[in-house]
Amino acid sequence: MNSPLAQPPQLIDLSTRSTLEDYQDLAQAIGLRKISCTVEEVPHHELGSITRATATAVIPNPWLGTGTSQDLSERTEAIAPLLAKLLSDRLLNALGGAEQVEAFGKAALVGSDGELEHAGALIHTPFFGNLLREALGGTSIICFVDGRGVPGESLRVPMWHKTAAATRTHYQTLELSLPDAPHAGEIAVIAAASSGPRPHARIGDRTTDRTVTSEILKGIQL
Amino acid sequence: MNYRKLVTIVEEIATEGGRPVDPVARVVIVAAVFDNPWAGQGFVEDLNPGIDSAASDLGALLAPRVIEALGAPLQAYGKAAIVGLDGEVEHGSALIHTLKFGNHFRDAAKATTLLPAVEKRGQAGVQFDIPLKHFTDATIRSHHQSVEARIADAPHPGEILIALAGATRGRPQERLAPLSTEQ
Repeated sequence: MNSPLAQPPQLIDLSTRSTLEDYQDLAQAIGLRKISCTVEEVPHHELGSITRATATAVIPNPWLGTGTSQDLSERTEAIAPLLAKLLSDRLLNALGGAEQVEAFGKAALVGSDGELEHAGALIHTPFFGNLLREALGGTSIICFVDGRGVPGESLRVPMWHKTAAATRTHYQTLELSLPDAPHAGEIAVIAAASSGPRPHARIGDRTTDRTVTSEILKGIQL
Repeated sequence: MNYRKLVTIVEEIATEGGRPVDPVARVVIVAAVFDNPWAGQGFVEDLNPGIDSAASDLGALLAPRVIEALGAPLQAYGKAAIVGLDGEVEHGSALIHTLKFGNHFRDAAKATTLLPAVEKRGQAGVQFDIPLKHFTDATIRSHHQSVEARIADAPHPGEILIALAGATRGRPQERLAPLSTEQ
C-alpha cells in the first residue's frame, strides 16, 4: 500500500484545533483530493428557517488492490478520525454549533475499483461514528447509506434525531450530487446534519399512534 | 426577497493531478430558488417591471454570501440562471443580464469585468456548469474555469434558480502560457 501515513508518525493535537482553514497537513496525510460542503436554508413559518448541510471528503481508497482478507483496521483507525474532524467542523460551521444540530446522518460511496467493505470501514466504526456523534452533540446511532458509485453520483443521505432516533418528525433525507467523484480508486465520505424537522411534519409519532397489527388486514375498506 | 430555498456550496480542492494544491482552491456557489415573476402571464412583452421587482434584491441577497463563504479575496466569478420548464430562458436572462443584479457582486468583490454566465431551462435537479473568469481582466487565462452544480428539487416548472459563483484563485495546477504569448 502506498500511504503517506506509513511515514514516520507525527503527533498533533486536533482536539481543539479548527480544520476550516488550516488543514494542509491532514489533507496530505490522507491524500484528500477535495472537500465540499452544501448548505440548504429553507424559510419556515415558525422556526425562521431550517438549515441542512452535507460535508463530503474525497480521498484515495487506501485498500486498492488488496483482497477480501485484508485487515482494514489499521488504515481505518488512522484515516477515519481525520475525516470525522474535517467533516464535523464544516457541519458545525454551517449550522452554527452543536446546539443547532437536531438530526444527523452519514454516507460513504466507494469507487468502482474498490470493495463495498472499504466504504463501510470509514463510516461504520467508532473511529468515525463516535467522533461525529460527539462533535454534533448526539447520542443516537447514526443512520447511513453506503454503496459503490461513479463520478457524478447522486444520493440521498438519511438523517434522524441525534438523541431520539425514533422521533418521527426528524426522519428526513438530503439529496446530494457529487460532481467528479468518486473516481474508480477513490472513496467519498459524507456527514450530514439538520437544524430541524421536516418542514411541515404532521404524521404523528409513536406516542400518538394507535396499536396497528396485521389484524387490520382483515377489515380493509376500499 | 422571498425564496423557497437558498443553497450554498463550498468546494475546496486540496489535490489535483496527484499533487497538493497550495493554497487550497476554494470555489463557492450561492443559489436562490423563487417563483418566476412572469409565471402564468403568457408572453410578456415588457420584462422591465419584473426585472425591477427582483433583480437588485437578488444581487443584494447572493453577493455578500459568496464573499463570506469564500473566506479569502475573490479572484474569479460567474453567474447562472436556470429557468423552470414553464418559463422562458429570457426570464432568467432578464434577471441576471442587468447591472441592477451584477453590480452588487462587482461592488462586493471590487471587480470590474462582466460576469460570464450560463442560462438554460431545465427540470428540477438539472445539472449546470457555471463559467468563471478573472474579476478584473477577463483575458487572464489562468482563471478561466467552471464549476458544476445540481440543486436538488429545483427549479420547479414555475420557478427560477439564480446563482452567483466565486473562486479564490485560478485553476488548480494552472500552467498554460498567457494569452499575450500568442499575440
